[in-house]
Amino acid sequence: MKVKQSEYLKEIKPVLVKLRDRLLEEFPYASLLAQDSTAKNYSVSKTSTGIQMDGLLAGRGFVAKVYDGTSYAEYSFNELSEEKIEEIVTAVKGELMPMSDRLPEGVRKSCYAMLADDVLVFADSTEYELDPEEYGDEKVIEQLTKVSEAGRAYSDKVLDCRAFASYQKCSKLFLSKNRDMEQNVLWMCGGVVVMATRGEEVKDSYRGFSVLGGAELLEEIGKNVGKVAQNALDLLESEPIPPGEYECICEPGVTGMIVHEAFGHGVEMDMFVKNRALAKQYVGKQVASELVNMHDGAGAAREVASYFFDDEGVPAHDTLIIDHGILKAGISDAQSAMHLGTEPTGNGRRENYERKAYTRMTNTYFEPGSDKVEDMIASISYGFLLEDASSGMEDPKNWGIQCMVNIAREIRDGKLTGKVYSPIVLTGYVPDLLKSISMISDTSALCGSGFCGKGYKEWVKVSDGGPYIKAKIRLG
Amino acid sequence: MTDRILAALKKCGIEDYLLTVTEEESAELFFIKKELDMQRRKKVRTASVVIYRAFEEGEQRFRGTASVKVQDSQTEAELCRLFADAYYAAGFVKNKYYDLYEGTKEEPVEVASTLADRPLAETAQGFAEALFAEDVREDVFLNSAEIFVRRYTVHILNSRGVDVAYRKNRVQGEFVVQCVDGQDVETYQDFAYNDWNTDALREKVRDTIELTCARAKAKNAPAAGEYRVILSGGYVNEFLSYYVSRSASSMIYPKYSAFAVGCDVQGGEPEGDRINLTMKAVVPFSDEGIPMKDRELVRDGKLQLIHGGSRFAQYLGIEPTGIFGGYRAPAGEASLAELKAQPYLEVVNFSDFQMDSFTGHFGGEIRLAFLYDGEKVTPVTGGSISGNIFEAQKSLRFSKELQVEKNFEGPKAVCMDKVSVAGA
Repeated sequence: MKVKQSEYLKEIKPVLVKLRDRLLEEFPYASLLAQDSTAKNYSVSKTSTGIQMDGLLAGRGFVAKVYDGTSYAEYSFNELSEEKIEEIVTAVKGELMPMSDRLPEGVRKSCYAMLADDVLVFADSTEYELDPEEYGDEKVIEQLTKVSEAGRAYSDKVLDCRAFASYQKCSKLFLSKNRDMEQNVLWMCGGVVVMATRGEEVKDSYRGFSVLGGAELLEEIGKNVGKVAQNALDLLESEPIPPGEYECICEPGVTGMIVHEAFGHGVEMDMFVKNRALAKQYVGKQVASELVNMHDGAGAAREVASYFFDDEGVPAHDTLIIDHGILKAGISDAQSAMHLGTEPTGNGRRENYERKAYTRMTNTYFEPGSDKVEDMIASISYGFLLEDASSGMEDPKNWGIQCMVNIAREIRDGKLTGKVYSPIVLTGYVPDLLKSISMISDTSALCGSGFCGKGYKEWVKVSDGGPYIKAKIRLG
Repeated sequence: MTDRILAALKKCGIEDYLLTVTEEESAELFFIKKELDMQRRKKVRTASVVIYRAFEEGEQRFRGTASVKVQDSQTEAELCRLFADAYYAAGFVKNKYYDLYEGTKEEPVEVASTLADRPLAETAQGFAEALFAEDVREDVFLNSAEIFVRRYTVHILNSRGVDVAYRKNRVQGEFVVQCVDGQDVETYQDFAYNDWNTDALREKVRDTIELTCARAKAKNAPAAGEYRVILSGGYVNEFLSYYVSRSASSMIYPKYSAFAVGCDVQGGEPEGDRINLTMKAVVPFSDEGIPMKDRELVRDGKLQLIHGGSRFAQYLGIEPTGIFGGYRAPAGEASLAELKAQPYLEVVNFSDFQMDSFTGHFGGEIRLAFLYDGEKVTPVTGGSISGNIFEAQKSLRFSKELQVEKNFEGPKAVCMDKVSVAGA
């Protein structure tokens, strides 16, 4: 089934067209992005159940982008009618544009060319099996309650099990002089957190799930609750790891964190514009093992960050970032691409209509290889299987790694010993880690249960992942 | 908008609700080096409604909720359908029964601020000037910066008499300083002010420039081992957030935390300083309309307060305080110079410092630290620290010098013994 068009956007489109035309009377370039989305969060734990709209993802609103012949300015608003058109145009001319009249001494306006605006007329929707709105809140809560109860029943050491799910059904309309684009996208994600206790200490294990689709995801969550509960119990027996460099196997979730945090942020080309990314100097050079091929793009995979055009009206891409270990290209929003003299890659994304567009990742992953996971484990004399990626932070400037995982399972003489170390901090230099990749599994998985920030804000939905990889990693 | 929503709620027969209407205007500037890359304005009005439903199953009584976002463009029929759906959904949310917070109509509060009477664009210009005032060198400079000037009004009403509103002004943003003298390095900083604190921003830029120059000289990671570690700046806030999080009613009622009023949160007889914390009201009313005031949280290591909203407060039989947005800690007795009299590793910049309020584990990768071996101070970079608050809290020593950070006021530094460092 295809996601339906927003009725509201259909109704308001003639007013948007009038506003666009009115802005084009004042400015050489003007575009409008309209968004209408519904989004809900569900959660069930021992003491709390919740059904809430998602304040970040839900809402109707608009952003007007104008070009005055030198640079760009934007006006975000969420009340629109025929009567308000002149009020908006007056605000753009009278409040927004004069903001650059008085700048600090020595500071000037950026000078840009006009954005490409070749003809693009387009409408498409993603597909789903079960619309969460039609499936109904009752059934969603019922399924999550079963998952939560199963997790709590796993052991008397389990303190709680929280099962949760979210979805966003988002319609967007992009209008400029020559572009008239519409898209309707539905994704759903969810997860389980199991908390286990021993004395004062509480350990928790998490697993996320996601789909470019609907409530068909819920079944997947239920199938995995036992594994998450066992991980939480394993963590109760864990001990801190002796710091050092080890041979490691990373499960797809940990691979995804390395792909996204350690490398992906470094090829966001707005960082090239600011000279904040070391990757800029490495285009055309080897940055990873020859086994490594890396992609990003809203059109590169069917996951939660898939769409047909970005928030600047640029069609989705599949960008090959690393080709057999060589850094080929970065990803960019339209303005950064103009600055660098490159083509935009459809990665200009906003948290929502209230925020600016930045270069953002979408679905980011390593291609699978040809190794079997069991052969990879068997190849290690002493090392660890890393699971349960918990957090990571980018360092595009210096390619320093900071990623945390919850579980390091000891491997001795090619076999898992059952011993668990936690928590684990991965450190080191990104190219060293990527060049040390010596085996890549033939299986691969992407997950988009979380959000990605630009620094500490501007949250957008992303997915990441790939295969199991074998690499030398410094753990602490 | 408010009247339309209230009328629709009445028409739908919704007895219990919480309505929050927020109007916000902002002026935003985005700089890349010494160029204004983008200017933005925002003017939006949003409303959220929490629908409550009381129901029984057998002898058990429940209170369900479901929340919805309301747009000005929605017709009365759309609103009624939205509220009816939410009321239906609330029937599947089986939370133990509780009463809504009961309040009264209060006069709207204008949160006192020297930003209140200034046009947003003027404030943005003033802070932009402060930002660039120290950007005068070629080897170290502002790489990029963002300024957001916000003015917002929040109106909170519920079906049990709450009718309160406040207006607040805030300037927030971030900047990155780059140093190309020797190594090419950078430092990220964020900032937030409720007043015309342009001098504070200018000082922050100046300090960050100095710190970035130091990082450019740092070449090696500290050797692996145990160190007497000093955390400073915003990391003191993150470190102490463990106690704030563990004393929240939403953590205590489900038994995620064993904290209780009167308990010794620091565990046993610490050799170092005792912890003292006060929760700080940063807005006049909580999201539920509860009047907020500063409250003592920890006195000499003993918990004085369990804090949080009305639901978990009722479950625990305690007074609801509202959910706080900040806290403060008093100065310690030792000066920074005294803390630094013995060998130490002072971490002033992590890539990301994290405190896990469940496990008490804290750690992060070191972007810049100063290592004093008893003879000389060396800037170091790389490696990571890893510790647990259950151990660290036995030896805490807070600095006499204070800092005012985003939603935190307290000592500039905290020192602790025997923290594990994974070197390069």
